[in-house]
Amino acid sequence: MKLNYLFPNKYKKIGWLLLIPSAIIGLITLILEFEPNSLDFNVPALFIDELFGEKHFIGIVSDNVLNEILAVLIIISSLLVAFSKEKSEDEYISKIRLESLVWAVYLNYAILLISFLFIFDLSFLWVMVFNMFTILLFFIIRFNWQISKL
Amino acid sequence: MKNSIKVERAKKNITQAELAKLAKVSRQTINAMELGKYVPSTVLSLRLAQIFEVEISEIFTLEDSDWV
Repeated sequence: MKLNYLFPNKYKKIGWLLLIPSAIIGLITLILEFEPNSLDFNVPALFIDELFGEKHFIGIVSDNVLNEILAVLIIISSLLVAFSKEKSEDEYISKIRLESLVWAVYLNYAILLISFLFIFDLSFLWVMVFNMFTILLFFIIRFNWQISKL
Repeated sequence: MKNSIKVERAKKNITQAELAKLAKVSRQTINAMELGKYVPSTVLSLRLAQIFEVEISEIFTLEDSDWV
């Protein structure tokens, strides 16, 4: 069976090598609210809604790009970890992959539903920050746990 | 669905790992099938039949629960 929606096996290792450091640095910078001045740039934006300004489409905003860099690294590397082929990718592994993906979506939205109901205002911003990455994270944990049990 | 992979394997005197290599799947997949935890695809079933040199129906048998 040919699977063309998965990356080759070697990308899994590359994914882990990128994911672990960028996730750790990401968490640390998030907690310490670390934003080095050297990474302040004027960057193009698609939609702008300034606190005391007007709303408009397309323009330039000043932004600290550290979180953008880290988020891009985390997303790409977790995609590589999640969707690279196993060493022996066969139909049974595919079944476990699918089950883990469904499980991860259920868990992610169960947590999001509870968060919607019981977390409010600015605290909810934290939920959204983490929710961007948790679906892949839950999948990676569940899938690798199932594979390791075989 | 029941299967006689383990029996056929014994007749041929090959290990799970050897069968896995012949069928081009992982050893874990062979093990999961023998334990009845995984129902193989048509392609893999046909491969197994060819490896064991028997008809596919000699390896796999439907059970009542397969009709529910």
